[in-house]
Amino acid sequence: MVIQLRQKIEVGFGRFAHLIYRNHWKVLFLILILVAALTSQLPKLTMDTSTEGFLHANDPALISYDHFRDQFGRDEVLAVAITAPDVFDLKFLTKLKQLHEELRNNVPYLDDITSLINARNTRGEDSTLIVEDLLEQWPESVNALEEIKKRALSNPLYRNLLLSEDGTTTVIVIKTDAYSSLGVETESAGDFDDAAFEADTETEAAKAERKFFTDEENNELVIAVHQIAERYNGSNFMVRIGGGPEVMFKLKQTMQTNMKRFIRLAFAIIAIALFVMFRRISGVILPLLVVLLSLLSTLSVMAMAGIAFKLPTQILPSFLMAVGIGASVHVLAIFFSHLQQGNTKEDSIVHAMSHSGLAIVMTSLTTAAGLASFAGAEVAPIADLGLLASSGVLLSLLFTILLLPALLSIIPLKAKISSSSEKRHARMDRVVVGIANFATRRYKLVLVLSGIVLVLGILGAVQVRFSHEPYKWMPESMSVRQAGDFLDQKMGGASVVEVVVDTGKENGLYEPRIIQGLEALKYEIEKIKGGPISIGKTLSVVDIIKETNRALNENQQAFYKIPDNRDLIAQEFLLFENSGSDDLEDFVDSQFSKARFTIKMPWTDSIYLEILSADLERRFHQQLGDDVVVTVTGMNALLGRTMAATIFSMTESYIIAAVVITLMMILLLGSVRIGLISMIPNLTPIILTVGVMGWLDLPMDLFTILIGSIAIGLAVDDTIHFMHNFRRYHLETGDVPDSVRRTLLTSGRAMLVTSIVLCIGFFIYMFSILTNLFNFGLLTGFAIAMALLADFFLAPALMMQFYKQGTTAVEE
Amino acid sequence: MRYMFPLFFILMIAVLPSQAADLTARQIMELADDRDDGDNGVSDMVMTLIDKNGNKRARKIRSYTKDKGKDKQRIMFFIMPADVKDTGFLTYDYDEYSKDDDQWLYLPALGKSKRIATSDKSGAFMGSDFNYSDMTSKNLDAYDFRILDEKEVRGEKVWVIEAIPKTKDEIDETGYTKSVLFVRQDNYMVVRGVHWVNEGGRIKYMDSPTIEKIDGVWTATKRTMTTKKNKKTLHKTELNFYNVKFNQALEQEMFSLRRLEKGL
Repeated sequence: MVIQLRQKIEVGFGRFAHLIYRNHWKVLFLILILVAALTSQLPKLTMDTSTEGFLHANDPALISYDHFRDQFGRDEVLAVAITAPDVFDLKFLTKLKQLHEELRNNVPYLDDITSLINARNTRGEDSTLIVEDLLEQWPESVNALEEIKKRALSNPLYRNLLLSEDGTTTVIVIKTDAYSSLGVETESAGDFDDAAFEADTETEAAKAERKFFTDEENNELVIAVHQIAERYNGSNFMVRIGGGPEVMFKLKQTMQTNMKRFIRLAFAIIAIALFVMFRRISGVILPLLVVLLSLLSTLSVMAMAGIAFKLPTQILPSFLMAVGIGASVHVLAIFFSHLQQGNTKEDSIVHAMSHSGLAIVMTSLTTAAGLASFAGAEVAPIADLGLLASSGVLLSLLFTILLLPALLSIIPLKAKISSSSEKRHARMDRVVVGIANFATRRYKLVLVLSGIVLVLGILGAVQVRFSHEPYKWMPESMSVRQAGDFLDQKMGGASVVEVVVDTGKENGLYEPRIIQGLEALKYEIEKIKGGPISIGKTLSVVDIIKETNRALNENQQAFYKIPDNRDLIAQEFLLFENSGSDDLEDFVDSQFSKARFTIKMPWTDSIYLEILSADLERRFHQQLGDDVVVTVTGMNALLGRTMAATIFSMTESYIIAAVVITLMMILLLGSVRIGLISMIPNLTPIILTVGVMGWLDLPMDLFTILIGSIAIGLAVDDTIHFMHNFRRYHLETGDVPDSVRRTLLTSGRAMLVTSIVLCIGFFIYMFSILTNLFNFGLLTGFAIAMALLADFFLAPALMMQFYKQGTTAVEE
Repeated sequence: MRYMFPLFFILMIAVLPSQAADLTARQIMELADDRDDGDNGVSDMVMTLIDKNGNKRARKIRSYTKDKGKDKQRIMFFIMPADVKDTGFLTYDYDEYSKDDDQWLYLPALGKSKRIATSDKSGAFMGSDFNYSDMTSKNLDAYDFRILDEKEVRGEKVWVIEAIPKTKDEIDETGYTKSVLFVRQDNYMVVRGVHWVNEGGRIKYMDSPTIEKIDGVWTATKRTMTTKKNKKTLHKTELNFYNVKFNQALEQEMFSLRRLEKGL
């Protein structure tokens, strides 16, 4: 029955190919209309490179981050560090002041700027309380300068924030806007209507529609800061720029340019490799055309569905390249080989389609089903990726079985009679036959060796380290890394985690228990050193109360503490508010019910941040009791949570995909036993790739984890092509070694060509300066090679083991 | 015919009946600065701080003012909330611009008074949207004034005057890079003001929606200041004045440190 059905389908594909051959112009026209209709949607495609884009809009972590940003502004600040032999030199300070003012006046979207120039300096002198900026009175004499230096160096607030401990580096801290101002017209003089003088209390709905600060605005701000600050750079004024906005800008910029460059390079290399393999221009153009059209159509589908292009979606071009090249090479290899044997073009097209058509449909459906199972992932872009990759596979299938035969019909193609091509053909045949013979004759050895390799792979795979540290993707030679590493080392880091304590009642922060608890937490948390995370500094309302209390008590160090008296705390708050400083709004809400606690630290692995978040929550509750609400948030915490969620969601998706693929294999191969056996060469390359990651200590991060989708595509392709053809020949002859040989001589050639071409195409990424792209190239290339080896050696050996010589089929 | 037009124009200006056209922006500002704002005043002020989500926080303050020559003295005591009750501020606002104001505060929980030294007027007044420069008179010499327009505010004619600080020092001092002031033509009160803040792209809108003549003095019994950014409200302060009286018998002793420490 199965044989009949398959034969019927193959005949059907043959007829279908005839039909296309005869109506090639019509088919081409229809495809062009389809592509034109789809790509007309392309301009609607939007980009979203933000971290928030990873989470569904109703994710609690995102909601609490949005509340945070709404209350306290953006947590990530830009740090302009300036190093000089002596920061407290009048010439240096004059230049610093100029830079401070130029930045303040000219940087767009700047919300607040703090440096030694305007740093808060609250102190007590005799019975006078002095609240002023550190450099409010410009020092005219050496003595005045000395006095300011002494004040600055002894102020714990400045240390590791505005001033390094050795006093050789000072930092200008730039806070950016929290909300986007794109599309908001500025108030011009003279057109103030009555409404302008009214406060508009925004409805929740209106608030939800407001856009947070965008990547584009961030880029604009960072570029402006660079342009200004770099003009001041000099030998006694060494400028380094770091902090979240800078790292985000540089990472995304480098990723984008590298991604673009290497996709282009991969296309070029693949074109060359295809030419070397086929020695025909058509052998280069056609597969690349299929890939290109699949990619364009998939992006158009994204645009139509209103799905933004997000970071994980970056894998799509590479994925579609692997899948599209694979499918079209399978048709072309059989087609050219048949053409070379002296058959007509029409015959060759029909032959290629009836030989490979069914297998291509099967591989596409299986890969699509596997990836579609991502759609349920809780991390939004992974779900998107699943949907898009599976529709991409199906679009690629459409182009392979419709456009490809139509174009082959149109293009004038003849057999090439040349001795060199004959020789090449013969040489490849010899290699393939040699492999087939070895794998079938020494199948026990192959099985044992494969078993050993697989065990090694599993041993490596269990050691895989989940990690996400995009900062370290950039090489140390980049200025952003040098500045970042410098700030990490000198200033205790430029990365932050935020904790918000909500007492739930107005003036809850007047409570000595709460504010003293926060003080205890400050000491406790600043002591976290040496482990995976070393905390640099904490900032909170505690510092403000302590310095006010000390200033009120003639600057006696003994009073640098939180008072025990609730009224005094309340009055000190009032005094501080009245002193003219607006710094309080950075740390408490207007009701004095919530306190912000900022923890400054070096760049670190997001995986640790997830652990830190849980640890912080526990510590805060321990100190403050359970009647306060503690929220760990900020971009870093969000990143930690997001990345962890993404990686785990992806792992989960792969497991579901494996189950779906197994079911598809069982269904398509028509046998539970064969379906299960076919999963061995399907899974082996993936296990080995993860194994290599374990042995080489390559991190399983957001980027490497996406390789799995490509590996699935390729492994499924190779295995289905092998199994499909093997069973066809085996049913004809009942001879396992002969069936293996014939399989490798036909589809095997296509598998070999595809794998060589794609391996080169992906290994080229190893020339990137970004370590994640290096790992991506290495591992994808490795996975592709392993998928081929699994189907050239392991699959034949398995067939030898499970099919008895002479019987036609085990499953019937 | 050629000479007709300019001649007509000159005549027009000469016979224009409005006295308003005769005043320069600077003169208007001088009239506003010199207008009678009362002496020996007593009032209760309720300051309501409203955040962008509409959360409110109220304080009640009793204040006494007295003119001493051209200088102004003020003493204020917090009545509410209870945590800060009896906290007092004593301020001497000198007419001479080069002289910094003197300010003392008394914290009852600390039991002593302190002099506060600050030369910066751009800081917030009591944590509100008003800053110190909004609460005191400006040095007119430090500005270039220009009449932008004449308009009506709540049915009263006003001049719309632009004030641009001449020096960077003045910008640093007040925190504003530019202001537009709405001065009533009948009583020279600044009833509205728009101030561009020198940092963070904020704009502040001052309004005096309720004006009453109390004891012969035009007094704003309600003032608001709304801070906005990109046309969105960040924060708002409402000042409401009650029991306003002028020409009370206030002794000089009322404006002393001793009185500050003694409380109300």
